[in-house]
Amino acid sequence: MEKKKAIWGFIFTIPAIVFFMIFDFYPVINAFWMSFFKKDLLSLKPPKFIGFKNYTYLFTSEAFWNSVKATAIFTLGTFIPMVLVSLVLAALIMTRKRFQKFLQMAYYSPAVLSSVVAAMIWLLMFDPRGLANQFLNFLFSTQGIDYHWLSNENMLRLATIIVYFWKYVGYFTVIFVSGMASIPRSIHEAAIVDGASGWQDFLHITLPLLKPTTLLVSVMSMIQCLKTFSTQYLFVQGGAPRGPIDVITLNIYNTAIRDHQIGRASAMSVILFFVIMFFTYLQFKVSRSEEVTY
Amino acid sequence: MKKVLVFLSMLLVVVSMAAKVELVVWTHEDPNRTPLEEGYIKEFEKMYPNVEIKRVTYPSDKIKEVLLTAFAARKGPDIFNIEIQDEYPYIVNGRVAPVDLSVLGLKNYNDLKNLYLEGSLDAVTYEGKIYGLPLELTNWCIFINKKYFREVGLDPEKDYPKTWEDMVRVSEKLVIRDGQIIKRRGFDFRYPYYLTFFVPMVEQLGGALFSADGKTAIINDNAWLKVLDFMKQWGPNGKNLGSPTYTAARKEFNKDNNTVAMCLSGLYQIDRIKAENPAFYNSKEWMVVPFPVFQNVVKDVRCNFYGHYYMVNAESSKEKQEWAWRFINFMLSHPQEYLTKVGLIQPRKDLIESDVFKNYPYANVFLEDMKKAHIVPLHPQGPQIEQLIREAVESVMLTKTTSQDALKTLKKKANDLLKEEQ
Repeated sequence: MEKKKAIWGFIFTIPAIVFFMIFDFYPVINAFWMSFFKKDLLSLKPPKFIGFKNYTYLFTSEAFWNSVKATAIFTLGTFIPMVLVSLVLAALIMTRKRFQKFLQMAYYSPAVLSSVVAAMIWLLMFDPRGLANQFLNFLFSTQGIDYHWLSNENMLRLATIIVYFWKYVGYFTVIFVSGMASIPRSIHEAAIVDGASGWQDFLHITLPLLKPTTLLVSVMSMIQCLKTFSTQYLFVQGGAPRGPIDVITLNIYNTAIRDHQIGRASAMSVILFFVIMFFTYLQFKVSRSEEVTY
Repeated sequence: MKKVLVFLSMLLVVVSMAAKVELVVWTHEDPNRTPLEEGYIKEFEKMYPNVEIKRVTYPSDKIKEVLLTAFAARKGPDIFNIEIQDEYPYIVNGRVAPVDLSVLGLKNYNDLKNLYLEGSLDAVTYEGKIYGLPLELTNWCIFINKKYFREVGLDPEKDYPKTWEDMVRVSEKLVIRDGQIIKRRGFDFRYPYYLTFFVPMVEQLGGALFSADGKTAIINDNAWLKVLDFMKQWGPNGKNLGSPTYTAARKEFNKDNNTVAMCLSGLYQIDRIKAENPAFYNSKEWMVVPFPVFQNVVKDVRCNFYGHYYMVNAESSKEKQEWAWRFINFMLSHPQEYLTKVGLIQPRKDLIESDVFKNYPYANVFLEDMKKAHIVPLHPQGPQIEQLIREAVESVMLTKTTSQDALKTLKKKANDLLKEEQ
């Protein structure tokens, strides 16, 4: 009977497996395969096998290392503040007796917006005549200073970080809120009975018990940052210089679509794949050692 | 048995004759062109009931990648058009079919060339065959809002900028700033189309993008340096007259909202003004003047022109290819309507010589400039080279990079790219 059930269970999973094989597994394998070939997207000539030449080219390419740098700056600049701020926001939400749901919804709402729309809204704000300059001029009581949001190298990086931070901080806040809600109330009550202050309760009870959620959020946000594309793409389309925000995904896009070099773009995708794999592995490894029992 | 076979074969013939030929056309969005071409489709389908045409539009910045992906998957449309510099690799890679002369009722390519202005089919001529028919040839001139000129005491008819040095002087008078922030630009360039407007500026000073043999890029450092210096002065770190980070000048121009006094655009801009802001169009407070040159011009060359050519997928069936060329020929046999309703110049001799063209506002300004211009450089690595020029120009305009350093980097990268291709 159990065996029969198992067979039926397997049969029901077949559509999902087939779907995964066609739309996920095959493209991944194909990208690996293509990364060893020289192939012009438009050419009808068969791809030419060139071994590891695409990889050696990339590792000696100034543009590729600039992309690695741009991706690293963006990832570190985004995910660290995002994890910290979403943790703080979640803690604040948890201390509220009223409007908890409303606050969660309000923080989460930008995540529902499409990345393209979000980037377009912010592009308008970062226009030299836009709200970003007006706000800073108001804040610093200055008149007509252009903070070069879209032209200065560092300001441009900051601008893309702000867009991403704004869009996803609410999403991770909600994850933290559910993590905090899963900590049994009795543990907090026991700490308060023992004389712990609110701060001590947060520091010695909430934070340690929230470790798996913190790890999950940090790794998830890091992976998401490594895959960032739309913000940088739209900013460059909007007139911003490409160099400072030429993240790996944007470089992959340009190599494939503008330069038609699908083999080289595949090699870059494979490198990014391994970087993301490494962090995913790290997530599994660390979260296993940080399991929490109540 | 025999009867059955005869019946079946007759049925097969009837079915195959009745089967409709479906042609898929991919083109860029142009609100003024859509109703015109939809009308041609209806007419054509009425003339040939066995043909069904499906016209699909994409935003002009999206169609390139959608088309490329489709062709890479060998699922491209039967007919398409994009800018010629992006179409060129399709020709070189054998992805498009040559013009079917028999369908057009012509004997040879010379007969076809004779229908068009000299040189206007050169861009689509490859290894002795012609691979496209022009939907439009576009060059850019300067659009001026006369009101703002008068506001600062300039007479638009006399004081319009004839040289790039004039352009700086006039723009300095027209610009309105709040501190460092520009509220009204005098003029601004059309970023990031550097192959179209920037390369001719270099050529005016004796420079060139490629050597005559096409093996070396960035010729005559002095000319390139002068134009890079000019752009540096134009940008926020120089005289602060404009920047790629502001909203495109041609978009703001139509609004007539005191944000830009001059912009660079094609003849089609006139119909766009008419559609977007009829009051401004009817006010006649706008005019068009030629693309400027530098004072010490070495070669009087104007803004490069580019084209959109209708092309046919080489992998479509022979039957579809024939119908595709027949349909393209039918659409393009209405050049006067394309001009009067959409503002597109089809370089056909019968159009250029017609009164309709001669009487069309400012058509002559564009035509005179076009005579002194040439098509955008066509090269398989063209888009990459344009990106490198963009990096160089924007680095001098927006960062502290010197023109010398920017040129050095541009030269190295562009020549490395050419070597890689060889």
